[in-house]
Amino acid sequence: MALLQVNDLRTHFFTRDGLVKAVDGVTFSLDKGETLGVVGESGSGKSVTAMSIMRLTPDPPGKVVGGEVLYKGADILTMSAAEVRDLRGNRISMVFQDPMTSLNPVYRVGEQIGEAIRIHKKATKREAFERAVELLDLVGIPNPRSRAKDFPHQFSGGMRQRAMIAMALACDPDILIADEPTTALDVTIQAQILELMMSLQERTGAAIIMITHDLGIVADMADRMLVLYAGRPVEYGTAREVFYSPLHPYTWGLLESLPRQDIEGKGELHPIKGQPPSLIDVPTGCSFHPRCPYATAICSAELPETRIIEDGHSVACHFAGEAGFTRGNAVKTKGVV
Amino acid sequence: MGALMRDDKTTSANDPMQPTAPPTAGEAAQVASKRSGKSRTLWSDATRRLRRNRLAMIGLAWIFIIVVIALSADLWAPQWLGSPSEFDSTTMGELKHLPPSAEHPFGTDKRGLDVASRIVYGSRYSLAVGIIATSIALSIGLVMGTLAAYYGGFIDSLVMRLADVFLAFPYILFAIALIAVLGRGFVNLFIAIGVLAWPTIARVVRSSILSVKENEYVDAARALGASDIRIMLRHMLPNAMAPIIVYGTMSIGGAILSEAALSFLGLGVQFPDPSWGHMLSEARGEMISYPWLMIFPGAAILTTVLAFVLLGDGLRDALDVKMKD
Repeated sequence: MALLQVNDLRTHFFTRDGLVKAVDGVTFSLDKGETLGVVGESGSGKSVTAMSIMRLTPDPPGKVVGGEVLYKGADILTMSAAEVRDLRGNRISMVFQDPMTSLNPVYRVGEQIGEAIRIHKKATKREAFERAVELLDLVGIPNPRSRAKDFPHQFSGGMRQRAMIAMALACDPDILIADEPTTALDVTIQAQILELMMSLQERTGAAIIMITHDLGIVADMADRMLVLYAGRPVEYGTAREVFYSPLHPYTWGLLESLPRQDIEGKGELHPIKGQPPSLIDVPTGCSFHPRCPYATAICSAELPETRIIEDGHSVACHFAGEAGFTRGNAVKTKGVV
Repeated sequence: MGALMRDDKTTSANDPMQPTAPPTAGEAAQVASKRSGKSRTLWSDATRRLRRNRLAMIGLAWIFIIVVIALSADLWAPQWLGSPSEFDSTTMGELKHLPPSAEHPFGTDKRGLDVASRIVYGSRYSLAVGIIATSIALSIGLVMGTLAAYYGGFIDSLVMRLADVFLAFPYILFAIALIAVLGRGFVNLFIAIGVLAWPTIARVVRSSILSVKENEYVDAARALGASDIRIMLRHMLPNAMAPIIVYGTMSIGGAILSEAALSFLGLGVQFPDPSWGHMLSEARGEMISYPWLMIFPGAAILTTVLAFVLLGDGLRDALDVKMKD
């Protein structure tokens, strides 16, 4: 049994402007100690997927309207509020995007890191503080004992993100969800944080869901990859397969728009033309068809089903798996809109 | 990674041989610069800014003086100025309506009671009403405003419409009606003033909590498994306190004014208990002939209310994190 099995998750937002299907049929599984990379453009449903797993979507307007999220076989979506609180920060925890705003400015860093232990393990203030010092040391904060007594504004961005990671690890969670943990950081600090997460994963055996719009970040880390577009999963498979034999034209586009130094060529970037669709007015059929250089009539007419091409590699494209429809070989059908 | 962590530690070890932090980690550089500075909190910053605000400090000093006077009145006022409320009808004729003098610094009233003594004892009622009524208003307003902002939707509408109903009545009329129902008396006066002040406080609390609610640390707390109560009490309220403290301080002044107004109308403190408002009320008919009967209690109300407003104003500036010196 997978540690976390998400089946056909659907989270919709009922807004004044209309129905937004922010997450529409996401399926994946995560085993112990594994890393899943979730990639996609802004608004592709990455964060909402993470929020839905922890039942943190703002309601109203958001609502999980379908699917199941099985944590060790138990469906989180049907648990009572108290049961979910028991999981949050304890078995499943989250690292947020912006470390500058994710720490409460009025509490000392050590106090905040210890909070999860105080909530879940009923630890005393002193025990929680000792554990916080240990955790700060673990995430590589120098002088952890005195730094634990500092306020967040006395920490730099990278240190705060380390503190956030320490906070998330406080109760030895099984799953760590990192929602763009490095987006708000300098590039030099980014690498450090990613390395830290990998080394901590080795040490604690936690599974990581790494949400990012930067393929480069997950390339090293992820065991599996989930590519989302407009709330729908377009490709899912092992990182090796998604990177080396991608099957969906959107994944090709993502890979081509990545600056790389290890391949020949003029060093030109090939961005995916057009804009991600508005989620209120999602294109008919395959939602990627207006931007897809290989689209045909069927693409705008029918929603492609998710096909399993190989064991553990699935893709939602009408042509995926057809001979000749591979990256670099497929024939363009038209100029892109 | 191991190497990286070790790297951080060496920079932090405050090695005297290594005056500048190596440029490997931006974080480490900040460690060095920030370690030297004294640990400063929001509150110590605020105190420092408040101390620099002269008007606010004058207000605070005046409040301090009034508090000392009110608390120590029994030790010196009766001996020096005479009783504030007990009068002898045999000597009343000689003692009444004396102008200010060395013996009676603020003069005497129609019963021959010393005005200064009554003002000194009246400060007890004014401070009590200011603090207790504001506490009542704060406790109701904090609960209502926090619930409204946190849960939103139906609860928000319910609480805020209730507040609107309270605010739709003319304040003094509502207070008179309330006291008519509860009966006259000191405690009922507190309750009336406090209950009538909650809607404005609830609005301040609500807007303050709403602005805090969108912060990511609230989501982070929820992701840690914190309960609603814990999020409200530990994560939202402390961050929303600044405007509430400011408004609370100012409404102490407001409550003192309300007490004076209600006592003036004869609904608050009754003779023989001394109250500034009641003294004004009694001076109404005699203010042309014996102006000290009106001037001194009036000045007491004015300065005390002003002191609270000035302090509140100073606190607003001091607690505003965007104000950098």
